[in-house]
Amino acid sequence: MKQTLIVLFSFVWLHLNAQKSEQIIPQEAVTVFSINNISLLQKVTIDELIEYDFMDEIHQELFDGSTDQKSLKDAGIDFDQRLNIFYGKNLKYELSGFTFGLKNKTDLFKVFDDFDAMESPYKNVDVYGSFFNNLIIQNQAAILVRVEPLESHVLEVTDSIWYSRGNLSPYYADFENGEDNPDDNVMNQEIDMDILTKNYNEMRDSVQFILQNAYFKEVMEGLFVQRKSLYSQAPQFQEQLTHTTEGIFYMDNARNFEKTNNLWYLKTVLPSLYTDIQEIYEGNIIVGDLILKDHNIEFQITAKYGEKLGSIYQEMNDSKFDKNITKYIKEDQAAYFTYNINLRKAYDKAFEVIVPILSKEKNQDISMNVLFLKLANEFVNKDALFNTYKGSMFGTFNGIQKVKTKKIEFFYDEVTFEYGERTSEAEEDMPIFTLGFTTDRPDIPELVLSHLSQVTSKFEKKENYWIYNNAIFESAPVYLINKNGLLIVTNDKDLADNHSNGYGAESISKKAVKAIKNSGFMTAAADIKIAASKFPTDFLQPEQQRLIESLKGKSGNMKLTSSDTSSNQTNVSLVYSYEGQENSGKHLLDLLNTMYLLTK
Amino acid sequence: MKITHLLLILPFFFCGCIEIIDDITVHNDGTGSFKYSINLSSSKIKVNSILALDSLNGKKVPDMGAIVEKIQTFKNTLETQPGISNVKTEFNQVEFILKVSCDFTNVVALQNGIKETLVAISKEKNTEIYNSNWITWDGKTLSRLIPNAIAVKAKTYENSDMDLLKNGSYTSISRFDRAIDKTTNVNAKINPSKTATMLRVNTYDLRQNNHLIENTISLTPN
Repeated sequence: MKQTLIVLFSFVWLHLNAQKSEQIIPQEAVTVFSINNISLLQKVTIDELIEYDFMDEIHQELFDGSTDQKSLKDAGIDFDQRLNIFYGKNLKYELSGFTFGLKNKTDLFKVFDDFDAMESPYKNVDVYGSFFNNLIIQNQAAILVRVEPLESHVLEVTDSIWYSRGNLSPYYADFENGEDNPDDNVMNQEIDMDILTKNYNEMRDSVQFILQNAYFKEVMEGLFVQRKSLYSQAPQFQEQLTHTTEGIFYMDNARNFEKTNNLWYLKTVLPSLYTDIQEIYEGNIIVGDLILKDHNIEFQITAKYGEKLGSIYQEMNDSKFDKNITKYIKEDQAAYFTYNINLRKAYDKAFEVIVPILSKEKNQDISMNVLFLKLANEFVNKDALFNTYKGSMFGTFNGIQKVKTKKIEFFYDEVTFEYGERTSEAEEDMPIFTLGFTTDRPDIPELVLSHLSQVTSKFEKKENYWIYNNAIFESAPVYLINKNGLLIVTNDKDLADNHSNGYGAESISKKAVKAIKNSGFMTAAADIKIAASKFPTDFLQPEQQRLIESLKGKSGNMKLTSSDTSSNQTNVSLVYSYEGQENSGKHLLDLLNTMYLLTK
Repeated sequence: MKITHLLLILPFFFCGCIEIIDDITVHNDGTGSFKYSINLSSSKIKVNSILALDSLNGKKVPDMGAIVEKIQTFKNTLETQPGISNVKTEFNQVEFILKVSCDFTNVVALQNGIKETLVAISKEKNTEIYNSNWITWDGKTLSRLIPNAIAVKAKTYENSDMDLLKNGSYTSISRFDRAIDKTTNVNAKINPSKTATMLRVNTYDLRQNNHLIENTISLTPN
């Protein structure tokens, strides 16, 4: 009995403390999509999964095409553990890969046969390498990772060494660095040099190799020596993993901000300002869940942020929705969005939060800019400004229509066969869009348009709208409707001519209007069937056109709604609902496969 | 996407709304001038839409600067070819109308000059398609057909919207110092003074059958 208890206890302890795949995601990862295999596979079998077209690419990438007839299914992967796909980038390198559970190491290497064992300096950790990727196994979890130094960083280091050795620019004279000048050109220029001296490209490759190893080592040391992983360092990621949904999403936007190359100047030249601005972004994390239900695929996303950023967002989203805009959205609209923000409040709050930070800086340029901001704040008529663009806006997509354009055509003299050019009418396919926003000061756009019409004949006043001739690519007109408290910009002639007061009975239902009104600062909707029927297929290859044709037979709706914004978070929900017999997991994979085939 | 390839294939990609004119003048002594015009004006929204993309169907789309540069390279290279002179190019970037013209000492120089120029500016390894002959002149007969490079490349593209192709046109004009006796292509028109012939076919038909533009023009004796 005692022995049985010890064995049982040991089993439970080992199970609870076993290394899980999500615990070996490097701390450098900024974005993670984690799939709960057990849950997902209840809805889609592994046999079904490996049949998809996109899996071919995964197999080729992983197995390098050398293990024909093998698939992930044969790879000894433990599908009871999560599959975590991650990506991260900093100023020097980027890393990507995935972690997974391991059931059978022998089977794994029958499939991953391009990986060679490497010396591992880490206890109980096996390291393998292929040309680009590394595979690391610790207990029952494995990580496949690619660490690549950024090209800009590699070139920076290479240039530094190259010029310090007294070399001239490797791209002197006729050499250009681009598609039309293959690397061979740069290689050939060194033909006369000492054979032991590396040319520029060889040096660049060496630098890349050294940096790649150094950064790979940095990632590994973090994981297996310092024992710091994203799991251990990011409590919100850990919390998200407790969700039993089919998948979870995590993105650390604060670190995205920190690692942005554009901020290098700020970070090095104005470090205190950088720190203050960084503080605003502190805690800005986006997490989400993928939930598969009957006839529904849902993404529940939460954007979390700190107090300062939250105070700006909260004020920005504290806005009354203008119902007027829904008159311009048709019931059978292929796709539309509405966006509702209070710019005045957002401006006031941003001024209150950001200007004091900027004011502390002693830098002359910043100081002058702050002075300008403060003076503008005093002198500019903010009522007029923020009443002109109040904050409610909408956009619609109504497929592709033929529009009248102008073209140059050749004409011939039938006697001499000489030819000349003349302008004539033409018709072209064009995506039809509408963008509109609410205004309490229609007189201001009217003032601008009246003046423009005096300057150029391209602007003409019609009974219900203004027309801006040849606005799109010097050929198609844009209509500006300035009435009913809205300024609408569209290339939809039918809307301008026949519906300048809205679509009336053809506009979206009262129920839909109520849903928009109650759904926070943003809504979006797309009808897959209608959108597919109006999708421009001219640019697609035949097999892609066939896919669009097949989508026309699929009915489904995509709806995006948001919650009210609080001081620390905003929730956004994206729900795709469909009719049909297949389960939601299969439907999701069908859609992913469609997107893959469309974009490959 | 290789720019040379783009320039060759664009006419057929937008066959729906394109006009192409090749206009050759051959004097009695064999010298002459050649003009080639591509008019994509009625497809400019589509062209602009494509130029706004980074890539299309997995191939890089060149920007306007690269196209202009390539046209300039074409001009510079053609100018250096033996027997070719007075090379001019004109590119209307708003209407997408490209015009190329040059003088030649004989049609062999013209054919070789264009061939060598295309090979030189093309990054393609297989330059075989540029090797075929598309024009001959023996002092009294001019034979013309569509260059193989264009015919081959046109075949590689499948457009689902064939109805649109029927709006495009390809016009081939040949001018001489003396009167035309006869032409082999029954669709070729001869002007009242009999010194020029014009053959106009639509681009859809031409894509299906590139022999449509074939024509042998016999002149009256000197």
